[in-house]
Amino acid sequence: MKQLSIPSFIAPRVLLAFGGVQQLAITVVALLAGTVVTADERSDLHDSSSSSADIQPIGESESIFVRHIEPLLRTKCFGCHGADQDAIEGELDLRIKQSAFAGGESGETAIVPGHPERSPLYLVMTRTSDDWSAMPPKEAEAVSADKLSNVHRWIATGAVWPTTSRADEIKRVNAERWSAEDGITIATSGGLDDAWTNRRYKPELLWAYQPVEKPVIGPNAIQPIDWLIQQAMPPGLQHAGPADRRTFIRRASFDLTGLPPTPERTEAFVADQRDDDVVIAELVEQLLASKHYGERMAQHWLDVVRYADSSGLANDFHRGGAWRYRDYVIRSFNDDKPYNEFIVEQIAGDELDPDDPEMLIALGYLRMGPWELTGMEVAKVARQRFLDDVTNSVGETFLAHSLQCAKCHDHKFDPVPTRDYYSIQAVFQTTQLAERRAERLDCENTDGFDQQAYLKLRRAEYERLSQELDDALLANALAWYREQGLDDSHWKQIVQQLQQQGKTSVFNAARNQIKKGLAEDQYPPKLVGFTPQQFGLERVTRKGLQALAFEDDSFKPFALSVYGGHTPSVKSISSPFRIPVDLTNGELERGQILTGGDPFSPGQTVQPGVLSVLGSSLEAPIPDSISGRRLAFAQWIADENNPLTTRTIANRIWMWHFGNPIAGNPNNFGSTGKLPTHPKLLDYIAATLVENDWSIKSIHRLIMTSHAYRRSSIHPDPEQLEKLDPAGDRYAVFLPRRLTAEEIRDSMLAITGELNPAMGGVPCRPEINLEVALQPRQIMGTFAAAWQPNPLPKDRHRRSIYACRLRGLADPAHEVFNLPGPDFSSEKRDASNVTPQVFALFNSERSHHRALAFANRCIQETQDDAQAIARCFELAYGRLPSETETRLLLEHWQTVEQLLPEDAIAFKQQPTEILREAVEENTGEQFSFVETLHANRDFVADLQPTQVDRHTRAFADLCLAILNSNEFIYVY
Amino acid sequence: MNHLQSSRRDVLYGLGASLGSVAFTAMMADELAASETPNDLQPRPQQIPARAKRCIFLMMEGGPSHIDTFDPKPKLEQLHLKEFNRSGKQKSAMESGKRYFVQSPFRFIKAGDCGADMAENWERLASVADELCFYRGCQVDSVNHPTAMYQMNCGNRFGGDPAMGAWVTYGLGSVNQDLPGFVVLPAVSYPQGGSANWSNGYLPAQFQGTALRPTGSPILDLNPPAGVSRSRQRLNLDLVAELNQRHAAKHPTHGDLSARMANYELAFRMQMQVPSVLDIADEDQKTLSLYGVNQKPTDQFGRKCLLARKLIENGVRFVQLYHGSWDSHDYIQRAHGSLVSAVDQPIAALISDLKARGLLESTLVVWCGEFGRSPDNGVRGGTAYGRDHNPNAMSIWMAGGGVKAGHTIGATDETGAEAVENVHHVRDLHVTLLRLLGLDDNKLTFYHAGRFKQLSQFGGKVIEELIA
Repeated sequence: MKQLSIPSFIAPRVLLAFGGVQQLAITVVALLAGTVVTADERSDLHDSSSSSADIQPIGESESIFVRHIEPLLRTKCFGCHGADQDAIEGELDLRIKQSAFAGGESGETAIVPGHPERSPLYLVMTRTSDDWSAMPPKEAEAVSADKLSNVHRWIATGAVWPTTSRADEIKRVNAERWSAEDGITIATSGGLDDAWTNRRYKPELLWAYQPVEKPVIGPNAIQPIDWLIQQAMPPGLQHAGPADRRTFIRRASFDLTGLPPTPERTEAFVADQRDDDVVIAELVEQLLASKHYGERMAQHWLDVVRYADSSGLANDFHRGGAWRYRDYVIRSFNDDKPYNEFIVEQIAGDELDPDDPEMLIALGYLRMGPWELTGMEVAKVARQRFLDDVTNSVGETFLAHSLQCAKCHDHKFDPVPTRDYYSIQAVFQTTQLAERRAERLDCENTDGFDQQAYLKLRRAEYERLSQELDDALLANALAWYREQGLDDSHWKQIVQQLQQQGKTSVFNAARNQIKKGLAEDQYPPKLVGFTPQQFGLERVTRKGLQALAFEDDSFKPFALSVYGGHTPSVKSISSPFRIPVDLTNGELERGQILTGGDPFSPGQTVQPGVLSVLGSSLEAPIPDSISGRRLAFAQWIADENNPLTTRTIANRIWMWHFGNPIAGNPNNFGSTGKLPTHPKLLDYIAATLVENDWSIKSIHRLIMTSHAYRRSSIHPDPEQLEKLDPAGDRYAVFLPRRLTAEEIRDSMLAITGELNPAMGGVPCRPEINLEVALQPRQIMGTFAAAWQPNPLPKDRHRRSIYACRLRGLADPAHEVFNLPGPDFSSEKRDASNVTPQVFALFNSERSHHRALAFANRCIQETQDDAQAIARCFELAYGRLPSETETRLLLEHWQTVEQLLPEDAIAFKQQPTEILREAVEENTGEQFSFVETLHANRDFVADLQPTQVDRHTRAFADLCLAILNSNEFIYVY
Repeated sequence: MNHLQSSRRDVLYGLGASLGSVAFTAMMADELAASETPNDLQPRPQQIPARAKRCIFLMMEGGPSHIDTFDPKPKLEQLHLKEFNRSGKQKSAMESGKRYFVQSPFRFIKAGDCGADMAENWERLASVADELCFYRGCQVDSVNHPTAMYQMNCGNRFGGDPAMGAWVTYGLGSVNQDLPGFVVLPAVSYPQGGSANWSNGYLPAQFQGTALRPTGSPILDLNPPAGVSRSRQRLNLDLVAELNQRHAAKHPTHGDLSARMANYELAFRMQMQVPSVLDIADEDQKTLSLYGVNQKPTDQFGRKCLLARKLIENGVRFVQLYHGSWDSHDYIQRAHGSLVSAVDQPIAALISDLKARGLLESTLVVWCGEFGRSPDNGVRGGTAYGRDHNPNAMSIWMAGGGVKAGHTIGATDETGAEAVENVHHVRDLHVTLLRLLGLDDNKLTFYHAGRFKQLSQFGGKVIEELIA
C-alpha cells in the first residue's frame, strides 16, 4: 500500500485509520466548506501581499480562475473539449488559453472579457440561451448556480487566465485559506493524476469513512433507540401510540419469518395479561428461535448477493451446488453466526479451513454473479468479467461501495482511486472457479434426491437420439462415398473397428481417424447429409446432455466454490469444472491497472490491497502468495474498526424492520448515496453489534423492543405529521409495507394448510404459469428444458426461497411483484403497483388453486358457513369478521353459488410432452421435436374444483377475493 | 373508475374503449399536455421537436449477415476460398480450424430511385427502397448473442438495464392507458437472454415490455381459468372492492390502497380491450394478402407486422418484433434465403401500409440484428458455408419519421470485416434513435444506485447523417 505523497501545503488533511489516527475536527471545517464562496475575492490580494513580499499582487479575476474556473473546466468540460486530442467536440479545446479564447467551429470567441452575457462559455452554462445549446449536455451535470456566478464574475472582472506557473503561485499563497473554505483533501493510494489525488471533498459527504462512534445515551433514557429517535424528532411532532397487539404480532411475524402468525398464537398473544414489554420480548425470542427466521433473513441476504441456481447468459446452465450455499446462509442466520465470521467464511472459507466442507460451501458467495465461458467468447474477456463482478460485489455487499465506478477512471465523486479497484481485484486474481468436492454435512437435507430419476430418463432419451443420429450419419457417409465415386473400404474398416469396440458417436470418431493426411474432399464432411430436422436434433441432444451434466451436480457432493491457483487455460466450459490436478498450470495473473478497464490494455502493476481511504489496520500487507490473499482481505473487511462494514450491516438490519434504511442507499455510502437520516442511530447500532460479538439476533432484539418499532401505523394527527415530517423519515409512525412476492406465495400456502415447512435441500419446482413453464426458451443453439413442477404437492409446496431460481426463467407471478432481477445486487426491494399484478393474483390458476384449498380447509374445520367465514378471516387477517362482514360474505356466497354450474371444470393439466418447433439455425428451415416431460407423468394435482361440491367452489370465490384484498397484502 | 384521480385519464379510457382501432387516438393524445412525474403512462411531450412519435423495432435476432443482405462485397468473389486469419481481441475458440473467405451466394441489385444495394431475394422490400435509410457504420462490443442482444436492446452488455422501449415509454408515456405502452411480439421461442431483452431494468415497472405471446393467452393470465364467467368475475371484483373500501376506512392515510384498488378496475377493462386489438379478423382480405397472412412462409411474421400496425394505431408507443434466428453459421444460402422469404413481404407491407395510412411520417421503423457477420467461414471450407459473428460491421436500416430516406450512410471495408466510414459505437445509434423520437439521451436519465443512468450508458452523439 503506497501512499502517494501529498503536497504539504494542502491542509487540513484527513487520514483515517481504524482505531488509530484521531478524527480531525471535520465538523469545524464543514461549517466553512458548506458555504458557497461567491464573496468578494479581492481580499485575496490583501492576504497574499501580506504573506509574501516577492509576489506580484494577485488580481481578483486570476484568483477566481485558479480557484473556481480551472477546476470547473476540468471537471465539466475537458472530457469533450481537450482531454482526448483525437476527439475534441466542436473543435473547441478548453485546456489552453489561446484556443479557449479563440472559440470553436462556430468561429466566435468563447470568452469576451468584461462581458459574460456576450460570452458563449457563460451562455452555454446558463442553459437558457437561444443561440447556444446547453452545456454540459447532460441535465444532471448542469453547472450549479453558485458555480455559474463564479464564471460570471470571472468574465466580468476581465477573464484573466494566468500562466501555469502564475497559477501555481496563486494556489500556494492561498492554499491554507482556500482549503479551509473549499473542503478537505483525503489520503488514498492516489489517483491516476494529481488533480484527482488532491481534490477536495465536502466533509459531510465523507461521513461513512469516519470511525464509528457510539453515541452517549441520555441518563434517563429507557431505550437507546427511542432516545436517539426522539433526539431527531421535529419539535412539536407527536408520535403515534403503540400498535395494538393483533397488528403487532402480524408485523413481527412477517418481519422475522416471512409468514403470518397462526390464529392460535395471535389469540394467545392478544389475551396475555402480562405487560406489553414482557409479552413482546417473549414473542421476539420465539420468532428468533423459529427456523423460519433464517429463511426470511437469508432471503434478504440472497437479494444482495444475487442468488440464482443457474449461470445466466447464453447457456444458463444449472449451478448444481448453489443450493448448498443458500442453505449455508439460512443456517448461519439461524445459528446467529457472528457477522464477522460470516464475512470471512464467504470470502475466504477455503483459506480458513480447506478440510471443512462448510467452508467450501460458503465460498458460493464469490460465484453468485452471472458467468459462463462459451466457445464463442474470448476467454480473457470472460475471466475479466468474473474479476470485475467479484470486485464490485464485495464492495457493494460488505462495504456499501459500488466499486465498478472506479474501474475505468478514478471515482468521479468518492475517494476511490482506480488503483484501489485493481488492488482489490488483485486479491481475487488467484481465485479460480470450480465445483469442488465437499462432503455432505449432517445438517444438509438430502430428501428429494429421487428426483434425479427424471434426469436419468432424459439422459437415456438423448442418448437414444444420439445413437439414431449416428446411425443416420454412417448411412449418409456411405451414400457420400458413392456420390463422390470414392472408395469406401478404408472408411468401412474403421467404422467396423469402432463399432466392435462399442464406441458411441462412431461417425465423428471415424471421421477424425480417417482425415489424418487426407485432403478435405477425400473424406465425408461433418454432419454429412443431415436434414434440417437432423441438424436441429443433433444440437438438441448434444446441448441437452451438456446441460444435464450441470443439473446432475445438484445431487452430487460438490459445492459451487473456488480455489487458489493459476488461471487454467480453458477455452470453453461445457461441463462442471473440477479442480485441476496441477494448480500451477496456466497463467499466474498479476495485479495491474487496466487502462479503460480493458483486459488487453494492462498498465501499472499493483499489489493486492484494500480500500485505501480507510487506511489500514493490517498488521502486514495482504500477501501476494497464491493462497492467503482473500483471508487477509476478508479479515480487513471484518475488522471491528472498519466503519463501512459495521455501518453497512447495521443499515441493512434496520431496513429489514422499518422498510427504509437509515442511509438511503444500502449498497452505496458514497457521496452519491443518500445521507443517513439518523447518523447517531446508525453508529449506535453498528457499535452495539460489535460489542455484542457481532450477534445479529441481538440487534433484532434491540430494535424490536423499541417503541419506534412498536408504533401504530395510524397517526393521531395526520396533518401535523405531513407538515412536520414531510419526508416521512422521523419514525413518528410505523410505515405499512406490501408483502414481497415470496411472502405472498408462502403465506397463501401457510393459511391453506398446504405449506411443507421442510428446510433446505435441492431446489424445488413449484407450479408456475403453465404457458411460461412450457415457453420455448432459447439457449445457445437449442432450447432449455421445460419447467416441470415437482410431481408431489408436498415437494412443490415448499417455501419460495427453496424454489429453483433460473436466471433465464423467473416465476412470472414473482417477477410482477418486484422480485429483483438476479444479475444486479438488490439493495432494497421495490413495491410497485401495476396492473399485471392483478392478472397474476386474481386470474391465475395458482391463486384459484390456493383459494379452493383455502375454502376447503375452512369448511372442513368448521360446522357452518358463518364459522367457515370466521376461520377464513382469522387465518388470512388475524382477526374475526364483524357481523356486517359476515352478513356481506354470506350473501355473496349465496349469489355466487346460484351462478355456478352444477358441474365443475378442472384446472389445466400438466402435459406429458410438448412439441417444440423452431427455425434451425444452419438451414433457416423449420424443424421440430417432441420434448418428453417425464416428471409430469407422475404429476399429482392439487385439489380440483371437480373434487369438491358447489358450495365449496362458491366459497373459493370469496377466498380468492380475500387473498386479493389489501388487508391480506399489506402489513401494518 | 371512481377511484381514479385524474379526469383526463377518464377521457382517455373513453377514447381508447370507444374508438377501437382508429388512429385518431394516437394522433390526438400525443398532443396532450405532459404530466410532470414520469412514473406513469400518461403521454408526455417530446423533449426536442421530432416527427416520429412512436417506434416499430424489427429485431432480427441471431445476427443477419450484412454481406448477404444490404452490403455487397464483390471483393469476396476474388478472395473466395482463400485462407483468412482472425487476430486481435476477438480471437476466440471460434477461430479454431482453418478459415476461408467466402463470397455471397446472393446476387445484388440496385433498388429504387436511390439505387440502394439489396440482395435480389428482397423482392418486395426493393419496392419501398426509397423509404429506407441504410446505415453501415455501427459497431458493438460483444461477439456473443445474449450480451450483444442486451447491448442492442438495453445499451449494456450485461442484462438488467432498461430496454430502449422502456426508456421511450418512460420519456413519452403512452397514448392508450388500457394497453401497455411498450409491447413486444416475440417469436414462438424467446431469444437468447430471454425477457431481460425487454426489461424495465431500474425504471418503474410500468415501463416493462409486455410480451404479447404468439400462442395462448397474449398477456399472461389476462383471463381467469376456464369456467369463470364474466358476471361471476365482476361479482368477485365487487367483493374485493367492498373489502378494500372497508379496510381503507380504517387506514385513511395509506395512499397505496386506492391505487391498488384502481388497478383491479383497469385490469378488468384490459381484459376486454386487449383481445379486440389483437383480433385481425376485421382486416380486409386485401390487407391480409398484402402482409402475407395465411400464406406460407410469411404467415407468422405477416401477422406480427399487421399487429404492430394495429397496436400503434391504438396508441401503443413502442412495438418490438422479433424474428430469427439469423445465426447462419452454415448453409447461409438456404438459411438466410428462407429467413428473407419469411420477412420480406411482411416488412415491405408494413412500410407501404403505414405510408398509405399516413402513419409512416410519424412512426420510426428500425431493422437490425445484434451484430453483423464475418466475411469468412471456418466449418466446411466452402462446401456449405455460412458466416460467424462480427461485432465490427453490420447493416441497419430505418424508415419513417425524420430519417434520411433513400440514402446509405457509412461503409465497411472491402471484405465487410469492419466498418470504416462514419463509424459509430452502438451507443450513438441509441442516441440517434432517441433523437428521432424527440428524446435527448442526456435528459432522459434516471437516478439509480448513485448515478444518473441513461440508455447510452455514458452519453453519446447523434449521428446527424442519418437524420433528414
